[in-house]
Amino acid sequence: MATSDKLIQVKNLKKYYNKGALHALDDVSVDINRGDVMVVIGPSGSGKSTLLRSLNLLEVPTDGEIIFHGIDITKKTFTNKEGKTEKVNINLHRQKMGMVFQHFNLFPHKTILDNMTLAPIKVLGMDQKEAEEKAMALLKRVGLEDRAGAYPIQLSGGQKQRIAIVRALMMEPEVMLFDEPTSALDPEMVGEVLEVMKELARDGMTMVVVTHEMGFAREVGNRVLFMADGQLLEQGTPEEIFSTPKHHRLQDFLAKVL
Amino acid sequence: MLSAKGFEAAFSYIQLFGEGLITTVTLSALTVIFGFMLALVLALMRMSNFRPLHFLDKPGCGRVVKVLSKFNPISLVANIYVEVFRATPLLVQLFIVYYILLAGVSLPAFKLFGIIRFERMIPGVIALSLNSGAYLSEIIRSGIQSIDGGQTEAARSLGMTQWHTMQYIVLPQAIKNILPAIANEFVTIIKESSICWTIGVQEVMFAVNSIKSATYFIGEPLIIAACVYFCLTFPTSKIIAYFERRMSRGDKR
Ligand SMILES: Nc1ncnc2c1ncn2[C@@H]1O[C@H](COP(=O)(O)OP(=O)(O)OP(=O)(O)O)[C@@H](O)[C@H]1O
Ligand SMILES: [Mg+2]
Repeated sequence: MATSDKLIQVKNLKKYYNKGALHALDDVSVDINRGDVMVVIGPSGSGKSTLLRSLNLLEVPTDGEIIFHGIDITKKTFTNKEGKTEKVNINLHRQKMGMVFQHFNLFPHKTILDNMTLAPIKVLGMDQKEAEEKAMALLKRVGLEDRAGAYPIQLSGGQKQRIAIVRALMMEPEVMLFDEPTSALDPEMVGEVLEVMKELARDGMTMVVVTHEMGFAREVGNRVLFMADGQLLEQGTPEEIFSTPKHHRLQDFLAKVL
Repeated sequence: MLSAKGFEAAFSYIQLFGEGLITTVTLSALTVIFGFMLALVLALMRMSNFRPLHFLDKPGCGRVVKVLSKFNPISLVANIYVEVFRATPLLVQLFIVYYILLAGVSLPAFKLFGIIRFERMIPGVIALSLNSGAYLSEIIRSGIQSIDGGQTEAARSLGMTQWHTMQYIVLPQAIKNILPAIANEFVTIIKESSICWTIGVQEVMFAVNSIKSATYFIGEPLIIAACVYFCLTFPTSKIIAYFERRMSRGDKR
C-alpha cells in the first residue's frame, strides 16, 4: 500500500511498568491506514488499552515511535520541512484523534450540548452558534436532539456513549479510538452504540476498536489484531483471524469467547 | 459572679455588639475569599509536575540522582508554606503580620460602612487569609484529587490543554464537591477571627473589652459575646449540613 495511505505508524512500541518488570507493550509495530476499521482483541491484561491509549499519548510509551502526519509524536521535538527543530504539540495531534472510553467520561457538570461544544469553542476557536448548530446536527444523527439540554446523569448508558462518540466527532478527527465502548453497557443498549459505530465505519472513518464484540469485529472490521502478553501475536482480515487462526494462543482465545 | 445589673450595663452597649458582629462577618468573609484564592494557587503549586532536573533520570542511575531528578521547587515552596502555617499559632502569625510585616506600611485610615476601621482590619484579613489559605489548600487539593482521572483524559483527548482542563473540567467539579468544607472553614474563621481584637479590630471580642473597661463587668459581656458567636455559627453550620445532604442526594439520582 502507498505510504500516503498510512495514517499512523507504530514502530517497536514498548511500555514497561514496575521498573521494567511488566511489559504491557512488548515491541508492537503496526500501520493504521486511512479508512481502516482495525479491531483489537485479546485476553484481559494483554495490552490492548495500553496500545490504544499510547496512540494519543494518554500513556507515554517507554520506547518506540508513533508516526502521525509524518511526526514522531512520542518525542518532544521534530524537524520541520525547513529543517528547523520544532516542539511537538501533542494537543494539536489529539484534536485529530477522537477517543471513546469504556466509562463514557462525559462531563457531569455540563449539559449534553455544552459537553459537545466546549472543546470546539475553546480549542478550535469555533464560535458558539456554529458549534451549537454542528452539535445539534450530530445529535440528530444519533437520534438524541431532544436531549441537548439534559445533563449526563439523566441519560442511559447507551445514550451517554452515543453522546461521547458525537462529542469526539465535533473535533472532526481523522481517526477514532474506541476502548471497549460497549463493555460497561447493559446488554440491551449495546446494539444502539454498535449501530452508530457501524455507520461511522460506513462513512469511511478510520477506527481502532478494542472490543469483545466478536460479531462487530467480523462484520465491520477490515483488520483484526490479536494481542497477548503485550505482544501482537497475529493480525489479518476477520476471515483469516476467525476462520483460520494460526497461533495457538489465538485458537485458545477464540475457543473461549466464541 | 454574674448579675442582672451587669447584664443591664452590658446591654446598654448593645450597639457595640452589633457593630462587632458586622465587623466579624466582614472580616471572616474577606478571609474566606482571599484565603480561597491563595489556597487555589498553593494547591496547584503542590500538584505541579515541574521537575527541572528530570533529565538526570536515566536507567541505572544512582539513588541520589533519582531523588534529585524528582526535585520540584514549586511544590516544595508551597509545601513548606503550608507546613509552617499549620505548625505555628495563629496569634503569632497575626502579630508577625501586624508588628513586623506591616510595621512600616501606613494603610489608608477610613471607616468601612462607617464602622470598621480599615487600617486595623487589613492586617487581620491578611493574617487570617495566610493562615486559612494553608488549611484550605489541603481541602482543595483533596477535592481536585477526588475527580475521576477519566475526566482529565476525556478533556485531554479532545485536545484541551492541561490548564483548560483544570479550568473548565476539574476545578468546577472539585469546587462543587468541596463547597461544604469551604463553608465549614468559614465557620472556623468566624470563631478564630475573635483574636483580632488584640490588634484593635473592632469585632465582637473587642466590644467585650470596651464594655469591660467602661463598666468593670466582664462575665456578662462575655456571655453575650458567646451567644452572638453561637447565633452566627450554629445556624450557618446547620444550613451547610442541609445543603450538603441535598447535594449528595442530587448526585445519586
Ligand atoms: N498504570 C499501570 N501501572 C501498572 N501496571 C499497569 C498500568 N496500566 C496497565 N498496567 C498493566 O499492563 C498490562 C496491560 O494492561 P491493559 O489495560 O493494556 O490490558 P487490556 O488488554 O486492555 O486488558 P482489559 O481487557 O482487562 O482491559 C496489564 O498487566 C496491566 O495490569
Ligand atoms: Mg483495557
